[in-house]
Amino acid sequence: MAFVMMRRDKKDEEDGGNPFKNIEKATVVQEARTFNDQHINTRKCCMILTKLLYLINQGEILATVEATETFFAMTKLFQSKDVTLRRMVYLTIKEMSKLAEDVIIVTSSLTKDMNSKEDLFRASAVRALCMITDGSMLQGIERYLKQAIVDRDRSVASAALVSSLHLSRENFEIVKRWVNEVQQATSSDDHMVQYHALGLLYQIKKNDKLAITKLVSKQARHSLRSPFAHCLMIRIASKIIEDDEDSKGSSLYDYLESCLRHKSEMVVYEAARAIVNLKSVQSKDLSPAVSGIVIEQVAITHPLSVTTCNLDLENLVTDSNRNIATLAITTLLKTGSEASIERLMKQITSFMSEISDEFKTVVVDAIKALCLKFPRKHLTMMNFLSAMLRDEGGYQYKKAIVNTIISIIEENKDAAESGLGHLCEFIEDCEHTSIAVRVLHLLGKEGPKTLSPSKYIRYIYNRVILENSPVRAASICALAKLGAQVPSLKESIVTLLSRCMTDSDDEVRDRATFCVKILQENSLNVSVFGLERALMHYVKTDMVEPFNLKSVPVANTRTESKADVPNVTTIQKSATATASKQDLLAEQLARIPQFASLGPLFKSSDKPIEVTESETEYVVRCVKHIFQKHIVFQFDCTNTLEDQLLENAYVEIEPSDEFEVESTVPVATLAFNVPGTTYTCVSVPEDMDLMTGSFVNTLKFVVKDCDVNTGEADEEGYEDEYVLEDVEVYPADYMQRVLKSNFAASWEELDSEHQSEETYVLSSISTIEDAVKEVTDLLGMQPCERSDKVARDKNSHTLLLAGVYVSGDDVLARARFAMAQGQITMLLTARSQNETPLALVHKAVG
Amino acid sequence: MGLFDRFSGWFRSKKKECNILCIGLDNSGKSTIINRLKPEKTQQLDIVPTIGFSVEKFASRNLSFTVFDMSGQGRYRNLWEHYYKEAQALIFVLDSSDKLRMVVAKDELDSMLKHPEIRHKQIPLLVFANKMDLKDAISSVTCTELMGLKEIANKPWHICASNALTGEGLHEGVEWLTGKS
Ligand SMILES: Nc1nc2c(ncn2[C@@H]2O[C@H](COP(=O)(O)OP(=O)(O)OP(=O)(O)O)[C@@H](O)[C@H]2O)c(=O)[nH]1
Ligand SMILES: [Mg+2]
Repeated sequence: MAFVMMRRDKKDEEDGGNPFKNIEKATVVQEARTFNDQHINTRKCCMILTKLLYLINQGEILATVEATETFFAMTKLFQSKDVTLRRMVYLTIKEMSKLAEDVIIVTSSLTKDMNSKEDLFRASAVRALCMITDGSMLQGIERYLKQAIVDRDRSVASAALVSSLHLSRENFEIVKRWVNEVQQATSSDDHMVQYHALGLLYQIKKNDKLAITKLVSKQARHSLRSPFAHCLMIRIASKIIEDDEDSKGSSLYDYLESCLRHKSEMVVYEAARAIVNLKSVQSKDLSPAVSGIVIEQVAITHPLSVTTCNLDLENLVTDSNRNIATLAITTLLKTGSEASIERLMKQITSFMSEISDEFKTVVVDAIKALCLKFPRKHLTMMNFLSAMLRDEGGYQYKKAIVNTIISIIEENKDAAESGLGHLCEFIEDCEHTSIAVRVLHLLGKEGPKTLSPSKYIRYIYNRVILENSPVRAASICALAKLGAQVPSLKESIVTLLSRCMTDSDDEVRDRATFCVKILQENSLNVSVFGLERALMHYVKTDMVEPFNLKSVPVANTRTESKADVPNVTTIQKSATATASKQDLLAEQLARIPQFASLGPLFKSSDKPIEVTESETEYVVRCVKHIFQKHIVFQFDCTNTLEDQLLENAYVEIEPSDEFEVESTVPVATLAFNVPGTTYTCVSVPEDMDLMTGSFVNTLKFVVKDCDVNTGEADEEGYEDEYVLEDVEVYPADYMQRVLKSNFAASWEELDSEHQSEETYVLSSISTIEDAVKEVTDLLGMQPCERSDKVARDKNSHTLLLAGVYVSGDDVLARARFAMAQGQITMLLTARSQNETPLALVHKAVG
Repeated sequence: MGLFDRFSGWFRSKKKECNILCIGLDNSGKSTIINRLKPEKTQQLDIVPTIGFSVEKFASRNLSFTVFDMSGQGRYRNLWEHYYKEAQALIFVLDSSDKLRMVVAKDELDSMLKHPEIRHKQIPLLVFANKMDLKDAISSVTCTELMGLKEIANKPWHICASNALTGEGLHEGVEWLTGKS
């Protein structure tokens, strides 16, 4: 039974796979005779037509007689008004137009459909009509086609344009007469119509060089809407440039270049490709590289869109300009399949020595990306990388390689052994101190986790003997870490380190002494920050007892460090710019006992915010004071009513979301024209998303009427309130401006792991200058290296900003602006050890 | 398959259907006549020479007609025969002002009547002596003679003088056809 069932299942499956698998031509032709029946069964006819189309597309040959017979039978289906069937009929007409005779028999039926009210019919009818039409018939339907070209329905217009393009191959003279209609269609609002119209217009004018040049420069000026149309224009333009020696450097080239900044990647790519392929490019050697980079960037952001261009890139791989070849390969590496990697890598190694370090770095970056994408390929990659390490190259290049190897090791435990091996070999002969130090640090960190940590001792100790002092010092630490974490090695390492205790360099000697001591005392595993705190505490005592290392927590979690480092020194340093005012406010606040526990004041808002309209009964200004975890709102109030005395005035704040009002400090009396101050303190939620918002404020008080002449107030008062305007807390409030004199160095210090990046389109801002100002204000950070000055007529600019977040963490931001097509885009990258400001920066501009 | 066919048969409208083939020399007024017979709102304003054919529908009493309006130009006439088989009625249109080509018209009519798909079928033939409004138009009686209609043996036939521009005579013809179908 089971067996039988199984067999049936299998059969079902076969049948279900392709319902047309077993159909035969003779049967279908026979079946097609039912088209002649008086009653048309639309469902059945659709099926038969499908079979027929299937057969034709499978390459089945229909003899002219049977094709013609079938075709004529099919023409009878025009009596059915069924939409689906009619569309099948159109398809069949197109497929059979070259198989059957006298296919022009459907001309009138199609022209009728072309003008039908049924929009579904019209475009398809146009296409079918053009398929069956020959030169002798074309004049007869000319007027319909001209009409269709300018039809308001996009699909009809496009169908007519595309069909005309096909017709123009055989009937150029006739199609040429429709140039006015085509011209009109080029200014269509519809992208597709515009593109198709331009294609046809070019076809019509292509023999007239002058006209074409005019066409391109005109269309290039009137910004085309369709990216496809742009691509077409680029192709035409590059062809003209190629054909015509004189037009080099003309406006056409400028047009190509301008397309590199188009917002559609397709256009950018097309332009880049066109420029790269221009044979005449010589003095402009730079530009193709630039465009290559564009492709590359597109590849990074939109791998899929470039995948389709891979074929073109393959051609560039062997380009004699090595820079282009490099970019082509790295692009392919980014978008290609796992299988092609090895071949591409071989290709690139063949000319690695011919390209500049800058491009070598590009290759390294591509490899890095690959390793993350295809972890299985790490061995191949490692080998390439180590070969590169051995080759010539400057600091940046070597650094990039080492960084890549390190990141591979960190991502992929399987790669650790071979990676560390390569790095060990590298430092044997490394002229760059900082790289050597970095590798040694890594060996100390990762070495103990490997299968045989002992083998690294030799490499490290060799450094101690042969290198300069910073490397020696780093080697000492690396050895010490190995010794601390691998008990079996401790003894021999202590011996090695003891030899260094007589080193000529102070730092090396101190470290060696310290490490030996620590290793012998058996506890290096202390939390650095815990240690710092313990020491701080210790120096505040009278230090009679020796410092006890045991009192330091043996924690090694990195997370702790983030929460635990209120870097007070930075805050104080940064605050000096506005010291006097800040100090004054701080002093004022410090006198209020409620706020003593809030810790040091981080920042006060620059200008007081007016929360009342001018010339009202009460004038109130607000200043925000930002503390570690609190905000104190200071309200300076003035009573402008001569006949009133306000008592016990305070501002009631209704905070948004998670803020909580902790305390208020009312002002006892507000006499006429005597300013007084009240404070309200709220606690700031931890969640970044809730840290900003607006606060609804109401001034509450007791009013006592008073005599204008004597100033004496009534005994009895009454409670009243006065609604103030909202006060906003912005992301910038949590940020202090600091000036970094060497931004690049600070930027590198905060590595890219602690980075957030986002691209923005600044729709409401029209100049880069405005954008720079706006972003600087929104972030509340300090422009560095005069990057707030925007050069005139530039359409790109980089703004460098530095600040300190309320936690004491440094925050750096880099905003790259680019202006294209009147629109400014901004790539905003932020770096900080602290996650919160990283997110907050984007919230500020978002 | 049968079940589906039967159902659709039951539910089809009660109106009887009839397939008409409309032929005649070019410029005789076939498309104009058919257009006139259609419901007013579906009528076309502008009639151009037919290329190939065009399918039109109109109704008369309880009959619904599907007309294959063929092109009368010389090069398409030999394609008429593809549509003979399904024809349940024939309309032949004459331009009664075109005496010169009356013989050509007779020739075409004869060869159709002799065609194997038509010869043995007892289907009605309606002849319109069209363009009766023109001053050199010949009468329907003369047309009958010139076309030799009387010699048609196995088919009921009828001739009407007509003016497709005003619709005169068309109704009479269709009435006759409705009765015969
Ligand atoms: N005066 C007059 N003109 C007519 C009459 N019927 C048709 N016409 C005109 O004759 C011309 C041809 O008419 P069509 O209906 O296109 O002729 P047709 O038989 O369909 O022609 P083909 O499609 O080429 O075979 C048109 O200009 C009509 O306006 C009529 O009864 N009187
Ligand atoms: Mg006609």
